[in-house]
This record gives sequence, structure tokens and C-alpha cells, in this order.
Amino acid sequence: MFGQGLIKGLQVTWHEMFKKKVTVQYPEEHAPLAARYHGRFQLDADKCIACGMCANACPNKVIQITKEKVGKKQYLTKYVMRIEYCLFCGLCVESCPKDAIAFSHIINMNQFYRDKVRLVLVDRPAPESLPEGEAAEPDAGGAAAGKAARVQQAARAQAAAGKAADKEGE
Amino acid sequence: MKTQTYSLNMGPQHPSTHGVFRIVLELDGEVVVKATPVPGYLHRGIEKLAEARTYTQVIPYTDRMDYLASMLMNWGYVAAVEKLMGIEEEIPERAQYIRVITGELSRIASHMIATGDYAGNIGGLTGFTYTFRDRERIMDMFEMVCGSRMTVSYFRIGGVAADLPDEFFPACRQFISDLPSMCDEYDGLITGNEIFQARTKHVGIITPEDGINYGITGPSLRGSGIAYDLRKVRPYSVYDRFDFEVPLGERGDCFDRFSCRIKEMRQSARIIGQALDNLPDGPILAKVPKVIKPPAGDAYAEIESSKGVLGCYVVSDGSPKPYRVHFRRPSFINLGMLGKMCEGWKIADVIAILGSIDIVLGEVDC
Ligand code: SF4
Ligand code: SF4
Repeated sequence: MFGQGLIKGLQVTWHEMFKKKVTVQYPEEHAPLAARYHGRFQLDADKCIACGMCANACPNKVIQITKEKVGKKQYLTKYVMRIEYCLFCGLCVESCPKDAIAFSHIINMNQFYRDKVRLVLVDRPAPESLPEGEAAEPDAGGAAAGKAARVQQAARAQAAAGKAADKEGE
Repeated sequence: MKTQTYSLNMGPQHPSTHGVFRIVLELDGEVVVKATPVPGYLHRGIEKLAEARTYTQVIPYTDRMDYLASMLMNWGYVAAVEKLMGIEEEIPERAQYIRVITGELSRIASHMIATGDYAGNIGGLTGFTYTFRDRERIMDMFEMVCGSRMTVSYFRIGGVAADLPDEFFPACRQFISDLPSMCDEYDGLITGNEIFQARTKHVGIITPEDGINYGITGPSLRGSGIAYDLRKVRPYSVYDRFDFEVPLGERGDCFDRFSCRIKEMRQSARIIGQALDNLPDGPILAKVPKVIKPPAGDAYAEIESSKGVLGCYVVSDGSPKPYRVHFRRPSFINLGMLGKMCEGWKIADVIAILGSIDIVLGEVDC
């Protein structure tokens, strides 16, 4: 009989009237975000060793790092993200050997003006010398130092590979 | 009386084009005499961009081709690079299974959009909201897995980026057990609707010969009754271990292509169920060097994406960046026959035909 299909369709929509709502009233209510959600970036500046691996991993050159040498160590003075070019792919977070850069659950990154979009995570002057605890790290032992050295080495290798390829590109 | 044909632009801004796409229609009254597709409005030069990125850095760009099934786009690219490096055999089992699970979820998500959007194209916008409601659950699962909903960038050369989180498993099991009832709902609401059937049956027929000659793949070809599914005819990854069917149509009209997709969703759910049951333990990433430098040479790999066969051709010159990357995008190739399919039909049918081959412009223009 013609119309049977239409009646069946109406049954489906009618049935929906008695189901739970699936939408949330956005600005007042928020849908829960997954633990791994890619929101705004956060940087733990104390953990960061300014190795630049995140900047090298980024496909869009979003991350700009400025560092200064304090004593024997590299000291991060500026960490700026040109977030308007960011793909939120997470390659930077994945490549960080110290888990310093991470995603947060902050989602409202919208701005009225373009120059406000840039995300400055660290902007600080380099100190004359590093405070005692940080500079020495005597109890960390050889293992930690070894790891740090390996990390630095890997970073250098990656940076060199990136540079070599850059040259070929030109 | 002497009459003459006139031309009409359909698009670039038209809701049924799934993006920005123009068809120049030459019309005799309301009947199409000639239809010329004009793609290119969404061209971003992804293939060119890839040449200035390292092998891993290309992955986020592949998401942006078919953004409705981005897991599958990732897969096509990493499969080619893995072939180039000769590490296909070294991909851990667990990673293979995770790829199957997330890939099939992506296929379901894409087919849900195709189904709902098609209903909307034909004039029943209600269907659209139903499929989008259900697709949302897949998006939530992707968010658990990789933190992004559409542009996932989840696959890595040699495996996947992260293991599946604990909360994923109950959500996925619940979803695949609910999927048959969701499909029943679509069938009740859209497929069985007489008006919908009158608009789509016997319209825009792709004959099996034409389908093959034009290189059409995916549900658009299977709607014509040709059992060509790479997962069956040339199983890649671990697809040979699953028990599933390849749904086929009979007439090759819009209706068959549409209903094939709903049937395929049910089969995908079966595959996911089996993959979840047999998910092995172990690592999720093969041992690949930090800086990926495949030996000079080239490789071509194909996978079955939601729209058809996605091929990826990668050429390496031994440096850390690909020398050339080319994608065989199924949407683009399926579009080739559009002109012929539209001839002789009315303007309203053009929308029905275009919707039935399920293109996505991110992929067409690449
Ligand atoms: S998320 Fe991706 S695009 Fe954004 S800064 Fe990190 S690596 Fe770059
Ligand atoms: S990779 Fe990590 S430690 Fe290195 S510069 Fe980036 S945030 Fe700092």
C-alpha cells in the first residue's frame, strides 16, 4: 500500500519525542571533554629544557623558541606559538622528551583581533645564574644526566636533519 | 517554435555539493543536455605542501582530504610510506587491529553523513539530524582516542600514536550493539519512504561496464552489483581474518548506492566486534627511527576508504622529506562520470545523482 513507508517514518519521529535530549545548551552547559582533548596549550616552564624538539616536529612552524645560555644550561626565555597556524595535530606534544608542553581543556581561544591570537607561553628575562637546586641537581645521579645528554643529542640530530632538508628545499 | 538551450551554474555554493563545487548545466527547458563538473574551489595543494614536510609531518594534512573519514586518509598515506620503508610486516598486531577498529568507525561515520545528507538533498532534512546524532558518538570516541574529533592525525608510520584508552571499549561495544537499531531507524525513516524511493529508484544508473570503464570504486560501484572491495579482493592489514560480507546493489541506480552504504555500516559493525574480541596485547608502534629516511625509490599503496579506493604514491630521494606524494582520491575519480550520468535528467535529479555518489570536496580538490 502506498503510504506505508511514510507512516513508518512518522512512527520513528514520534518515538523520538519520548527519548532523552542529546543536545546541551552550550554557553550555559558544556559537554564533557575527553581526557586527551586537544585544547589550548600549556607549558611547564620549569620542565622545559629549551631543546627545540617541539618546534622541529611542527609541520607549520608554529612554535618559536628563544633561549639563552645561563651557566652551563640553556635557559628558555621566550616560547611563542603562532596558534593561528596550528593544526592541533599534537606532534609537538608527542615529541617533547620532558612532557613540558601539553594540551589543556581550555577551548575558548577566540579573539577579536589577529594580533591577540598569538599564544605567549613564556616571556621572561634570563637570570644571572640559576638558583642552587636547579643548577646542581647532585642527587639525580649519572642516569638522569645520561638521559638528558641523550635527549640533547637526539634533538641535535633531528635539528640537523631538518636543516639539511631545508637546504635541499631551497 | 524555435527554442535554444541555456546554461546554468549549479554551485559553487549549494548545500548538496558537500563543499564548494560547480556544475555547469546546459539545459533544454528543465532537462539537462550537458553537465560539466568544475572542481578546484577547495584546492589547497596538499601534495605540494607535503614536499616541504618530513614524512611524519604529512599525516595531519591527509586528515584534511576526506575530513569525514580522516582515519582512512591517514591509513592510505602511512601504508604507502611503510611500503616504501619495507616495514609492512613489522607493524605490531595490536596496531593493525586498532587501525581496523578506528578505520571502520571512520567508515561508519562517513556513511552516516552520506546517508543523512542524501536524505536532506532529496528534501527530507529530518533524516540528517538522525544520522548526525549517531555520528556524534563516533566523534566522541575519536576524541577519547586521539583528542580530536575530525582531524585525527592518529596513525603513525609504523603503528598508531597512542593506545586505546580504557573508556573507549565500553563506549565502542555499546555503539556497535546499538548500530543495527540505528540502521533500522534510517531504513524506517528514509529508505522505506515512498517519496524518497520515487525520487531515487531508476535514476542515474551506472551500468557495470560504465562503472569499470570510468574507474569508479567504492559503494558507487558496488551499487551496480560488482563485488569489488579491496578488503575482500586484495586484503591488506589484517582484513583477511574477519568474517564480513560485501553488500551489493542490483540496478546501479541512486537508491542502490544509497542502500549499499547502510548495509555496509552493519558489516563494519561486525568487523569492529570481531576486532575488539580478538584485540591482541603488545606494542602499538613498530621500531622506526626518529628521523624517517626511506631509501630512494617509490611505492604505491591502496586501501578501501569510505568513498572507494584511496591510493597513495610516494617517491623518496633518500632525504627526510618526500620528493613527491600523490593521492588517488576516490571522490575525484568517481566524479568523472557525473556528466554522463546527468544527461537527460531534470535539474532536481542532478542533485539526487550528485548526492548518491557521495563526494567530499576536501578530497576532490585535495
Ligand atoms: S599541534 Fe601540530 S601544528 Fe600545532 S604547534 Fe603542535 S605540532 Fe605544530
Ligand atoms: S620539546 Fe619540550 S623540552 Fe624541548 S623545547 Fe619543546 S617544550 Fe621544551
